[in-house]
Amino acid sequence: MYGSDNLWKDVAGRFRSLPLLSRSEAIDTVPMKRSSPLDRRRFLSMLASFGGMAAASHTFARGFESSSALGFAAVPAETAARQLARYPQKTDLILLTDRPPQLETPLRYFRSDLTPNDAFFVGWHVSGIPTSVDLRTFRLEVGGHVRRPLSLSMKDLQSKFEPVSLVALCQCAGNSRSLFEPRVPGGQWVNGAMGNARWKGVRLKDVLDAAEVLPGTIQVGLRGLDVPPMEKMPRFEKSLQIDHAQDGGVMIAYEMNGERLPMLNGFPIRIVVPGWYSTYWVKALSSIGALDQPLKTFWMDKAYRIPDNTDANEAPQRLSQVTVPINRMPVHSIFVRPEPDEQLRVGQSYDLVGVANDGGDGIRRVEISQDGGQTWSDTTLGTDLGKYSWRRWQASWTPPAKGSYRLMVRATNGAGETQPIAQWNRSGYQRDVIEHLDVVVL
Amino acid sequence: MIRRTSNCGIVLGIAVAVVLAVSIAVYSQQPSSSASKPAVKADVSQVHSIVLPQYPAEIASGPNVDAYRKDCLLCHTARYVSMQPRFPKTVWQNEVKKMVDAYGAPISEADQALIVEYLVAVKGTSPPDTVSAPPK
Repeated sequence: MYGSDNLWKDVAGRFRSLPLLSRSEAIDTVPMKRSSPLDRRRFLSMLASFGGMAAASHTFARGFESSSALGFAAVPAETAARQLARYPQKTDLILLTDRPPQLETPLRYFRSDLTPNDAFFVGWHVSGIPTSVDLRTFRLEVGGHVRRPLSLSMKDLQSKFEPVSLVALCQCAGNSRSLFEPRVPGGQWVNGAMGNARWKGVRLKDVLDAAEVLPGTIQVGLRGLDVPPMEKMPRFEKSLQIDHAQDGGVMIAYEMNGERLPMLNGFPIRIVVPGWYSTYWVKALSSIGALDQPLKTFWMDKAYRIPDNTDANEAPQRLSQVTVPINRMPVHSIFVRPEPDEQLRVGQSYDLVGVANDGGDGIRRVEISQDGGQTWSDTTLGTDLGKYSWRRWQASWTPPAKGSYRLMVRATNGAGETQPIAQWNRSGYQRDVIEHLDVVVL
Repeated sequence: MIRRTSNCGIVLGIAVAVVLAVSIAVYSQQPSSSASKPAVKADVSQVHSIVLPQYPAEIASGPNVDAYRKDCLLCHTARYVSMQPRFPKTVWQNEVKKMVDAYGAPISEADQALIVEYLVAVKGTSPPDTVSAPPK
């Protein structure tokens, strides 16, 4: 059994040796083992026989090519027709990848304040994702540089710590990556790699306090149940600075919108880092380590890094020399309606709708432009669900004449920060540029 | 632990595991029926499982597709490639290098070159060193 007090100390900043899957009775993950040639042949023939069928059955056309009344100018051709897929505990979502699953939320679900659990986007990094958890044996291990290592059951978490709740936007660092020009490799998300939910759980601070973090602790390492398909591949793990981990806002969530988390969203518990990108919101959280040295891992040192400036900006020909781990979300806003297949009519009032968020100062103002940014007008903000929630906005617009319009949206937060007019970086992270939507009114 | 290597096996394996888990739980409940406090609380509702559906990707045909299948699709779906736009050869070279250097993929130098050739054939720009789209 693991959970010894030297669990994290041994490795002083590296927790690769943690025998996380030794409790085979507790956790099953999708097996990804080297296959024999025979198995591979069978596997490939299955691919061949199923591929065409799947593609034919669940495709929806976004329908905003030249014949359409409306188009997202920035939406690339590759994402024009995307396959839908239905996973357990999920409704039909846009399929980016199937192994591991990455599923995007269709835009229409953003018309409500909270994103339903079954429509909530899904993103995993490595193919060995947890598909079964036995709560009788599941334990959250808290170790490393602490006086009292803990091994907490779900019941412990729910009964020994004060429950807290807040609404927070969970957004993938690579949300909207496919809109960058020039294009960059990676998950080709449009705008649906985010969701707004009410999270309930316990403060990470309270759990760390119970474990009595020792002086000299500088970071907290976080790891989930997902395992890479090969031993040499780095496990997915993240770290937070100790002050951040102990700020009382970071949460270990066991409920999402009043229900337990869907398996694909991190059942039974996940980290919630309000205001920060979801790369830190470690799913199926299984171990927490207090560290007296910085966590050395591909997922902090090489991946999820952005140019060290406000808008994560750099030029393709002059890449930034200094990068930092992605962190707090900047001010960001999108259109939710109209959607690409909708038609706008001259002289008819139309409700433009969207959402805006930032990293925790709260959205104070959202403006739209119907003339490509020459003039701007205020929108009406929706319910304030807290500073870490997105804020819905709405504006009525009656197109005065037939023709083409460039709609734009920009938000301003409580700190007076707004959005840039141009942005690019090599990894397609932290897209926060002022979005435009080209509309043809008939 | 379930360790299967084909898609069929995964589904079958998970199904077997679920049946086993249920059987074990039910079995372990029986001897304790006479005791006032069962030693093991065999509450099967505490076991939460899903079975992942299969959405296999179509594999674009191209030169060296066998190397691509053998070395790349072992760890991830072909959709990691099929969802991408066209990229210049340097981008694909970097991607393959990243898989080897950062993710530890055991791909020989010779195979790496073959895979780059495949990726350029199915998702490359023409000519191969042009950028995919000019900045706006």
